[in-house]
Amino acid sequence: MTESRKKSRGNGNHTGLSITGSVMHRCKCTRFSKLFLVMTSQRRIKKTWFRKVVKLDEVIIKDLTKRFGDLTAVDHLELNVPAGSIYGLLGPNGAGKSTTIRLLCTLLNPSEGTASVGGFDIIESPVRVREITGVMPEESNHTLYAAMSTYDNLEYFGKLYGVPEAEIPGRIEELLSFMGLWERRDDPAGELSTGNRQRLALCRALLHRPKVVLMDEPTSALDPIAAKKVRELIIGLAEKYKQTFFINSHNLAEVQRMCDRIAIIDKGRILLSGKTKELRAKLQATQNFTIRVNDDLERALDIARSMEFVTSAEEEVDSIRVTIEDPISNNSTLMRSLLSKGVEIIEFAEQEATLEDLYLDVIKGGVM
Amino acid sequence: MALRKSMLVARADLRMAMKVKMVKYGLVMMTAMAPIMLIGLVLLLALSAPAVVVTMITMLDPMMSPVIGIMVIVPASMISANALVGEKEQNTLEALLCTPLTNRELLIGKVLSSFIPTIALLLGSVLVTEIATNIILTSVGAEVILFPGVSSLFLLLVAGPILVAAVISVMVLISGRVKRVYEAYQSSGATVMIFLIPLVLPMMSMNNGGIVDMNLVWMSNIITLLIASVLAIVTWTLAIRRFNRDRIVSM
Repeated sequence: MTESRKKSRGNGNHTGLSITGSVMHRCKCTRFSKLFLVMTSQRRIKKTWFRKVVKLDEVIIKDLTKRFGDLTAVDHLELNVPAGSIYGLLGPNGAGKSTTIRLLCTLLNPSEGTASVGGFDIIESPVRVREITGVMPEESNHTLYAAMSTYDNLEYFGKLYGVPEAEIPGRIEELLSFMGLWERRDDPAGELSTGNRQRLALCRALLHRPKVVLMDEPTSALDPIAAKKVRELIIGLAEKYKQTFFINSHNLAEVQRMCDRIAIIDKGRILLSGKTKELRAKLQATQNFTIRVNDDLERALDIARSMEFVTSAEEEVDSIRVTIEDPISNNSTLMRSLLSKGVEIIEFAEQEATLEDLYLDVIKGGVM
Repeated sequence: MALRKSMLVARADLRMAMKVKMVKYGLVMMTAMAPIMLIGLVLLLALSAPAVVVTMITMLDPMMSPVIGIMVIVPASMISANALVGEKEQNTLEALLCTPLTNRELLIGKVLSSFIPTIALLLGSVLVTEIATNIILTSVGAEVILFPGVSSLFLLLVAGPILVAAVISVMVLISGRVKRVYEAYQSSGATVMIFLIPLVLPMMSMNNGGIVDMNLVWMSNIITLLIASVLAIVTWTLAIRRFNRDRIVSM
């Protein structure tokens, strides 16, 4: 069992009820809390207002496993997504991100384990799960009915999701206007550009105002302006309606801007999970520096590697990239060493810690 | 509520299918072949032997009228073959499967999307044949008759729809278990051949002297109805039980 899995199993969620933050701490170790836990077992709590008030987790994944023959796509996954959060699932290709989303939206049956979405078990109540879930599948710009008009696509899905018929036109107009597609409402979806089809797929996922929105690479086909708009929409919806977003993405910068929590998955297992801010704060314990030197890259690299506080040193095109522990006291030591050994420094630049650093660290096996 | 959602699926499928000209005109042309053939036969008999035309038509009725049913089943199987695998090829299936449709609602919708146009075409074919036949007969001074006759109408309008439902159910089942539309079309050929057997039973009712034994016709009609009912129940049950979202998505 990996370190991260041990951590996730030991985070107080073994009771079957997952209450985040302060509520859990207040209730812990009292008779009342035990009674509370029994009375409010996860299956019973389906009222939205109650889930929001006590901040219950909207998505709870327990020991979820999916095998395709000999291949284990999702391997005993454990994950909790708090209500109203924007949760980013990061990982390389084939890590099991899309399979996780397909399991959560009940397209696939788990080989082992289960999950609950909005209080409904994906095995026992798949229809209820689908009712409260909006899904933006992988390559969602191809998942529209090409011969149907933009408007008809949304109307069809609105009716299938049981949106009251009187409300459908208003909701369609609101969403299409926001996405800048209202003028194209009568055009066949197949005639829209890739980006516009992606926006339409997003409208479709949001039309029935789902409690949980599952998104597989939601901005992959969008231009930067449209992607920014979608990110703002997602953040706005999460704040306003307390909708929960579970997002697969390769785009680390996007996840960093949008998600308040992230998990890094590889080979079907969660390697690391937590609040984005906390994970970034962990990164501050070490700091990356780019050092440009005059011609003597290898010498500079050797000096850097000989320092105890340098955790990694790599050669780049015309510079070296070093990671330093306790940077405030150690960066000057490194600079002095380089200068004293005759290395001419052109630039000694601090790099901002990004999720990319964390992601690469974790995927390479250097779990923090 | 359940039927309302199924009807939504059926209506959407039909609208999509009818937007493809090849499907629309192919469906009508295929179905029109039987009435054209029967009306042509009546016209030929009326022109060549007006005195015995009614007797000849009555004699030929149990053998010729089932052709209407046969010609209708072929397009029905073609549309239904496309039901699930067609959506999969167009990448629209996952989005549809993510909606709160139950398996039953989805399958009923897919069956109805083929069943409704097929039955409409069957009724239209029967009606056109009846009207055209009697226009021809009255124009040569012959009496007004039912062609297709009562026994054939029973076969076409009672056993026919049940058989169509059976064919569509099995095709939807196949459509959910193949990877490509052409595989479904290939399977539809073999399926139609098997399911056509009950419809050709009445054709066996003519003895060597060319006399039609109506008792035999009715008996074969009842057998056809029974076979159609059993096939419909078995294929529908199989379609419901074997429907597996995981398998469809994983393939």
